[in-house]
Amino acid sequence: MDGHDRLLAAFLAGELNPAGARRWDEHLLVCERCWRAVREDRAGRQAAQVLRQPAPPGLADRVTFAVEMAAARTAAQRPARPGSRSRRRGRHDRRLRWRLAGAGAVAAGLVITLLVVLLPGGRQAGSVPAAVAAVARYAQVIPPPTGEQHPQHAAPVQVGRPVTVTAGGQRIVLRTWRLGTTEAVVAVSSHPFPMPVHAHGVSGRGMAWSARLGRLGLYCLNGQTSELVAAPVPAAELAALAARLPLA
Amino acid sequence: MGADHRVFLDATLPYLDVVWQVARQAAGEGQDPEDLVQETYLRAYAGFGSYRGGSTRAWLAAICLNAARSQARRRRRRPWEVPAPALLDVLPWPRADGGDGAGDVADVVIAGLDAAEVSRCLGLLPEPQRVCIVLMDVAGYTAREAAQALGCPRGTVLARVHRGRRKLAVLLAEAGVSHGRP
Repeated sequence: MDGHDRLLAAFLAGELNPAGARRWDEHLLVCERCWRAVREDRAGRQAAQVLRQPAPPGLADRVTFAVEMAAARTAAQRPARPGSRSRRRGRHDRRLRWRLAGAGAVAAGLVITLLVVLLPGGRQAGSVPAAVAAVARYAQVIPPPTGEQHPQHAAPVQVGRPVTVTAGGQRIVLRTWRLGTTEAVVAVSSHPFPMPVHAHGVSGRGMAWSARLGRLGLYCLNGQTSELVAAPVPAAELAALAARLPLA
Repeated sequence: MGADHRVFLDATLPYLDVVWQVARQAAGEGQDPEDLVQETYLRAYAGFGSYRGGSTRAWLAAICLNAARSQARRRRRRPWEVPAPALLDVLPWPRADGGDGAGDVADVVIAGLDAAEVSRCLGLLPEPQRVCIVLMDVAGYTAREAAQALGCPRGTVLARVHRGRRKLAVLLAEAGVSHGRP
């Protein structure tokens, strides 16, 4: 690109001073080559703009969830050294801590909530695979069922939109279903969900397993497409609940 | 990592749409743009503690482009380094003869814009020009932001985007002639 073309690019970008722009306007009236360049530039820009497309509706949820998971993972991996640092903290740190206490309370609440899910009993950090922990994290907001939990006549109703996440290297689609007063998350992945250390194999169901994670029951059917159902119901009811939900 | 994730999300989620525009064009074959957006935000969150300000949009774009490249390397594919085909070398650029078709390139392009064809032709441009067009014309970055994201002078960005637009227009006009005219 020579100096003439650089000036033309600056003209097209609106970066010339008024006098320079006026000279180019006059030049374009007599120079066919430059006029063609201007028209092609504008046509190319207009063409490229047709590629604009709004972000998919669930993408913000997915990104938010992935970042929350990363934050919870970081908090869980941070070594706890109770008492060792507090003695060394100075007066300034204590004042700062008080000032931040109010703002931090909400954040701490979230982290604690996450840790309750990710670290049931506070000692099982390594026993919950990331993909399973992600599903449990997503399902933790499900309220406990009230009244008749999942009556025979009730049909499953999808709640909200599906959310896609990637955890533990596997892509997972999460859907929330309501059956009567019971809500459940159904996670579907093309990869099998790893079995947590304290899970139990389900007899007669091949690669199926069930587990308890806090108040959540987990029921997994691994296969060509793997499904993991998470719901705040007793483990004994999970298989029956899963049988009534659209899994794939 | 360890920055307050809500502060991070407040600062970056408003730019989800522009990151999506970049990711859609930067994602290589077999690469899901939504996965690339998620990877971009996770990388950005990991680096947020050391982020020193400036244009957040440009920062996110740079991360997205780097993530696309590293994912492509992992797949042993090089989607951003596909050379322009020989077609670009033999196209009259600009048409020296001023003959048929030379004067109506813009008209042909504007008359029949088709997103799939635009995307295909955009993929034929050399990487530097393609990236500049994606940042400025598709994602709406300013030349200054694009320069910051790419780590090159603003004048270079303007020159690349100008040449890229013209080549894109010519390629589309060629496609329009070959597909839409006898």
